[in-house]
Amino acid sequence: MSLVRAAFSSLVAHVRKINRRYAKPQIEMTWLVKACLVVLRLYLLVLVCLMIYKFVKTLKG
Amino acid sequence: MREAVATSAKVRMGLPATLFYRFRKSVKALRTFAAIAGPGIIVMVADNDAGGITTYTTTGAKYGDHLLWFLILLGPVAYFVQEMTVRLGAVTKRGHAEAIFHGFGAFWGWFSLLDLVLIDWLTMITEFIGMTAAMSIFGVPPWVTVIACWLLMGSMVLSGSYWTWEKIALVLCVGNLIYIPAAFMVHPSASEILHNGLVPHWPPGGLTNELFFLLMANIGTTIAPWMLFFQQSSVVDKGLKEQDIKFGKLDTAIGSVLTVVVATFLIVVSARLLSGRPVESAAQAALEIMPVNKYVGTIIAIGLFDAGLLGAICISLASSWAFGEIFGWAHSLNQNIREAPWFYAYYFLDLVLAGAVVLIPKAPLVLITLFVQVIATTLLPAALVFLILLLNDKKTMGRYRNNTWQNVANISIVLVIIILSTLYGITTLFPEVLQ
Repeated sequence: MSLVRAAFSSLVAHVRKINRRYAKPQIEMTWLVKACLVVLRLYLLVLVCLMIYKFVKTLKG
Repeated sequence: MREAVATSAKVRMGLPATLFYRFRKSVKALRTFAAIAGPGIIVMVADNDAGGITTYTTTGAKYGDHLLWFLILLGPVAYFVQEMTVRLGAVTKRGHAEAIFHGFGAFWGWFSLLDLVLIDWLTMITEFIGMTAAMSIFGVPPWVTVIACWLLMGSMVLSGSYWTWEKIALVLCVGNLIYIPAAFMVHPSASEILHNGLVPHWPPGGLTNELFFLLMANIGTTIAPWMLFFQQSSVVDKGLKEQDIKFGKLDTAIGSVLTVVVATFLIVVSARLLSGRPVESAAQAALEIMPVNKYVGTIIAIGLFDAGLLGAICISLASSWAFGEIFGWAHSLNQNIREAPWFYAYYFLDLVLAGAVVLIPKAPLVLITLFVQVIATTLLPAALVFLILLLNDKKTMGRYRNNTWQNVANISIVLVIIILSTLYGITTLFPEVLQ
């Protein structure tokens, strides 16, 4: 059990290190890049909502 | 002045010497190309994976030669998209996952990485489904096929040499060309193929919902998210530099021609032998062809196995490379298992988990195949948008960034792919939309 806990905490530490390393986007953030990323977020949000709707509908049906 | 000196030197050299010089130069270029070629050909041919073979046999059986022109159009489309990964990899020396983390930060990086892992694993399952179905035709039980594939795919990477792996993968690519002799064995009429297949038109019946779905399936099988990640990581692992980009592009162009050729010949076969029959999978197609032409049926089954194997080794490597890049593990095929233990551990885990799912009795394999298409819809647009943005970043790409014409071509292609793949994903989720 302690081995699993140690492995998990090591993984979390590693993920945090990665998050710190890539905290700041290195691409030049022009208005076009920002607009593309906003549209992409909205697109993915709609897709995820559609998938959740389908999942719920399948479970109910 | 310099030109005048060069011209006078050429005059002094004489014609034979000039020809010899040009010959030596061509041989040198050919040798360089032979050393650099590989990632483009492998990724493009592996694109005709088990799912792709099923899509092409279905296309041929349903619409004959009438959609060949559409497939031929997809060749340049695949080239334009994949060529960008060659430039990005050669210039940044980063794989696609690392390039996204570096360029867009941790949020988009984790999204892409985790999405890639999920879709690669699901696609690997479809490759195992294809391989086990193909070998079942020859009476080999699924568990034997799965274990044999694990051993084969494991031994391919254990040499600790990228070159060895690449040579074996290229042999599998040659195996994918097996559909070419199969097409000649059904004696197709060249004039009929040229007349029906090469002039853009809708098949008899016009643009129906079913045709639309099949066109989208063909696009989905030609451009897949794992291909972007695989080729860029492969270019980095192979050590391509900026000056090698032109050879990398040629490698990709040859691969795109091969992928279209294989798809075309397979459609020609299924159009001749399965016309009008409902085809659910390539394995079923092979079984139905067996009584009509035993040799062609056998070739379809062997080709399906080969396609599944090639697809599986490339897809599992795409994930392993991506994880290695981000977690900072040693992640090169040039390192042995002691030097890169986590890279190989992930590779084997991916193989074992994907193969094991196929062996589970009553596993929802059809649902998994459909799920692959839906999940791909979430990753492909994001990966393509990131690719275009990175290729336009002056700080990252310098003089290798997209020029105006490349942007016009690539942005148009990406927009069309995003729209069609989204429609494909939605119609897979809600088939009633097409009713």
